Formats: sequence, structure tokens, C-alpha cells
Amino acid sequence: MPQMNLAEALIDGLIWSLRKDPKATIIGRGMAGHGPEHHAEDRLKAEFAARIVDPPTSEAAVAQLGVGAAMTGMRPFVHYGTAVFAYEAWNQFINEAANVHYMSNGQIKAPVTFHLFHGIRGGGGPQHSGSPYAMYANNPGLEIVMPSGPRDAKGLIRAAMASDNPTIVVQHALLLGLTEDVPEEDYMIPLGKAEVKRQGKDVSVIACSRSVVDALEAAKELAKEGIDVEVVDIRSIAPLDVDTIVASVRKTGRMVAADETYEICGVASELIATVSIHAWSALKAAPVRVARPMTPVPFSPPLEKAITPGVSKIADACRKACGR
Amino acid sequence: MTGATREVQLAQFERMLRMRRFEEMVIRLAQKHEYIGRQHLHIGHEATGSAVALAMQPSDKIHTTHRNHGYVIATGADPGRAFAEILGRRDGLNGGKGGSWHLCDASTGMQSTSAMVGGSIALATGAAYGLKLQGAKSISFAHFGDGTLDEGVCYEALNLASVFELPVLFVCENNSKAGQRPSSMLAAAKLRDIPQALQIENMIVDGADADAARVMFAQAAERVRTTGKPVFVECTLERWPGSHQVTAAFPTGVTDLALAFEQERISGKHAEWIKSYDPILRATRVFVESGTATRDELAALDARVTKLMEDASAFAEASPFPEPAAAFTGVFA
Repeated sequence: MPQMNLAEALIDGLIWSLRKDPKATIIGRGMAGHGPEHHAEDRLKAEFAARIVDPPTSEAAVAQLGVGAAMTGMRPFVHYGTAVFAYEAWNQFINEAANVHYMSNGQIKAPVTFHLFHGIRGGGGPQHSGSPYAMYANNPGLEIVMPSGPRDAKGLIRAAMASDNPTIVVQHALLLGLTEDVPEEDYMIPLGKAEVKRQGKDVSVIACSRSVVDALEAAKELAKEGIDVEVVDIRSIAPLDVDTIVASVRKTGRMVAADETYEICGVASELIATVSIHAWSALKAAPVRVARPMTPVPFSPPLEKAITPGVSKIADACRKACGR
Repeated sequence: MTGATREVQLAQFERMLRMRRFEEMVIRLAQKHEYIGRQHLHIGHEATGSAVALAMQPSDKIHTTHRNHGYVIATGADPGRAFAEILGRRDGLNGGKGGSWHLCDASTGMQSTSAMVGGSIALATGAAYGLKLQGAKSISFAHFGDGTLDEGVCYEALNLASVFELPVLFVCENNSKAGQRPSSMLAAAKLRDIPQALQIENMIVDGADADAARVMFAQAAERVRTTGKPVFVECTLERWPGSHQVTAAFPTGVTDLALAFEQERISGKHAEWIKSYDPILRATRVFVESGTATRDELAALDARVTKLMEDASAFAEASPFPEPAAAFTGVFA
């Protein structure tokens, strides 16, 4: 099985999407980011130059270019680069794309995929570090996927492109270089299926995106202290795989919710609410939340580090949940 | 005048009557029923809407604003199901989930109504992109008012349509009126300076003149089809006095075709609108004076259309409300 970094894997997922579906089409540039992995995009351009269009910097109308085309039967993949750019297309995501199917009573579908690089990334500052998927999740009608590694990124992009719904794929900007074995052939990972990335018996860390990577690192550290951590990657916040999350917490009896969206109305809070409703009796201790505190993201490295959820904060949260 | 022209003129007039009688029935339903949301009526814009609908081919697409009833009816949606939707009933075009603000009918190419100012123009640009990618000969239509030109996304969409050469016909209903709060506030000396600056071919037409609008939209649509590029048509329109009604009312009365010839009977605050502006009465006069149709023929047509709307309205009122469980279905495809 070949090794791919996440940028290569997502491009591979796109290539398979275009090969398999003549209606698939791409709007955007810099699909593999602008970092050292950006060359991954070359393969895509070489095979499908005619099906990629580089639009003007018009985030709102570009969203509608994708949505309107999707409503005629196309399957556009619209890439935004830094996630916050898509704030310019808020109405188009939330009020148009998300509502099309429901308000037409199923007459019209909008199978568009939006692709964003989110997260605290080192020097992004207040305006380039946004993780908007909790805000998107606060609206019905959108499927929202947050892959934590290359294998998932490829399979989830394929599933997003095959979905009949508007789907937002949110990649952490710092994970683009992450490398693992990725199947060469075409495959899809169904949307709404969480995956237990590490089995453990003492505490469940329910996480997504970069926090999964951090949780796996924290688990190694905690193993030395005799704490056996289970790591569940929700992979998508909508749909949310409640069964897998609840089963894990029922097994361990302890929960840490780790995610980079904000504490208030964020993904971690939603996960804790979900577990509280569905597995209250299984909890041996209060759930612990690791999330972005309610402050803009500062530029200076030590300040940025202070507000970033990460390995040590997740490890501390696990110790706390376990009464250590 | 050729027989073919007469036929198409009468076909247009029938659509105009359907649009008018439909909306008059909306006012009655709004007066009669406790809840109906809020109606944004297209009365006075029938010449434009019918001309646009006649320029559409079966596989073309259209996106409209919330002043949409006219387009929904002109493009061929079932009026009974449209009334049912406005009343929130089970048999509504959208199953009661959209209401007046979101009427659509996939079978007629009526893709969506966006109730967000600026929504339709960019979606229609996307539809044109989708049609172009599919190699279709079809084109898309964007219906919007001059107020849309206050919105930033409008400039993005016009620019995109121009630089990507997308087959979209921009239908701008300009009813901004001095003396009232204008529906747009534009620094451009004239509205068409805006598409002109973006290299979009543009035209202007009296949107209340049925013949002129029909000929203009036939030409403009043909132009979009043959060049594959966007065209912008500004339709100058006068605002109907009931345009912004909160309480359902007939400020210009129920349309009476006979008033086209019996002007001495017209009175009241809005007499001038009825006398010299109402595009339905204007077309009625033109038809009779040019010998295209007799008063009796037009009255008979009107009676048929009126009956059609009465039956459609009765169908809608008899339709039950959806079961509450339906609120939770269809969020995802």
C-alpha cells in the first residue's frame, strides 16, 4: 500500500471522483494548499485541466456558481483555501444550499462540495485561524466532514462528492503533511460513521480533525502512566454517529471531548450534551471539555499556544476525568 | 399582422391574465384565511413576466426573487398547487415547506425562489455554468429587481457571468420610483452602466408594453443562445400601489377589462395607474384597437381564466394541512 500525505490523498480522492463521475467538476485553485505539499495538485491538473476552473476572488458568487450548477445536476467541488474566506459566502452556504432540498420538498437537490482549510495554524492570527464547522453544524441540511488523516480524507472526499447533499469538507491546515498508508484503489468512507482510532478501557476521548492526532499522541504518553485511552474520531459532525460515541463512553465510563471549535456552542460541547443525554448513567465522572477558549486567535507564538487545544491539554483532561 | 403573431400575442395575453387573476385570488385568500405569511405581488409586471416565460425553452432554467407568483404561473406551474403552497397545504408545490417566498417547480424549470435580495442572480449564474458544462443548448434566466444591484454578490455574479461567458439572461425589473423610497440607491448615472462596465451586452425595454417586452426577450434569449454569453435586459416598470402591502387589499380594484374603454368610470387615488399604466388594460386596448381581438373574445378569455383560478383556489382550500411529522422529512436528500 503506498504512503501518501493528506494533501496527496485528498487529491487522489478528487481524481477518483472525476474519473468515476462525468458530472464532477472543480472550481478553485490551491486544492493541496500553499505549503510544501502543494505539488500534490499537479497530478489533478495534469489529468483533468479541462474540468478545473480558477474563479475570480468572489466567494459569495463562487458558492452560488457551485450551488446553481449543482441544482442543474452537476457535482461541483468548490475549494476556498483558508476556511474563513467562506464567511463571505455565509448566506450562500446556510440560506441557499442548505435549504434547497427541504424547501423544494425534494424537487431540487444541491450536490455541491465545499472544501476548506481550517484551524489554528501558526501565525494565522485572528482572521486566518477560523474553524467554522461548529457554526455550520448549527444549521440543518449540510453534511460536515472533518477528516483526521490521509486515508479518511480520500474516502470521505469521495463520499462527499457522491452525496446528493451539500457537503462541507473541512481539513486542518496543519495536517496536510501527515503521512500514512492509503489504499491506491478507489474507495468511499460512508458519511456519518465514526471510527475508534485507538481502543482503550479507562477514558474515551471523542474528537475530530487535528484533535484526533493530538489525542493519539496524548494516549501514548498516558499509557506510561497506566491510563488506557480510547480515541473516537467522529469524522463528521453532521451526520453525527451517536451510537459509536455512546458505546465508547458506556465502555470506559469517562469522557473527554476534544475539538478546536469554540467552547460555546462548539463541537466539544455538543458531544458532551449528546453523551449526557444518551449515557448519563454510564458516566463515572463529569465529562471534560478541551476546546478553543472564547478569545480571538492571537498572532504571537506563545499566546497562540496558550489558547490551542493540544496534546498536553488533552492529556491533562484525561487525567482529570480519571481522578488523577 | 400575421396569424402566427396574433396567436403568440393572445398566448401572452392569456398568461398575463392568469398572472393577474392568480394574484387577485392571492389577495382574496389572504383576506379570508388567518395565516398566509406575507404576499409580495407581481401585479403590474405581467407584460415582462409573460415575455420572459415565452422566451424560455422547455429545458431552460429560471431563478426568481420573492416577487415570484407571476413567474411561477407564467412558466406553467399548476395554479391550484401554487395556491395550496401559499396556504401551507399538503398539495402545495413545495409540500407546504416553502410558502409564497420559495415557490418552485422543477418540471417547468422554475428552479428556486430566493427570498434573499441577491440570491437569484448568483444562483442563475451557477445554473448557466451547470448548463454550459453539460453542453446543453439551454440557458438560464435570472429575475431580480433593481434593489439587487445594491447587493455585493450581484457584482460578483455579473462579473463571473461575463468573464466565464455564461449563457444567462439577466432580467432586471426596475421599478424604483421617485417620490417613494427608491428600491435601489445606485451611484451609477443609469442602471445599465453597471452591466456595461462589466462588458455585458445590455438593453432596455418598457416592461409594461407586452409587445415590446415579448420581442425584446425573444431577441435577448436568442442572443444568449447563439453567443453563449450573458445579456442584461432592464425593464422599466412603475410600481403598483399595492406593491408593499402588509394588509391584503385591492388598492387599484379588481381588474375589469371593460375599464380599458370606459375610462370615465375610473376614479380614486390610483386612477392614473389604472388609466394609463396597467399593462393588462393597455394590452386590451391595443388588441381591440388594432383588430387583433374583439372585446367579447377578450372577455370570454378572461372569464375562462377567472374560472380556472376559482377552481384552483377551491382545490387549494380543500387541501389539508400537512401532518406535523412532515416537518422532519426531507432535510437531506
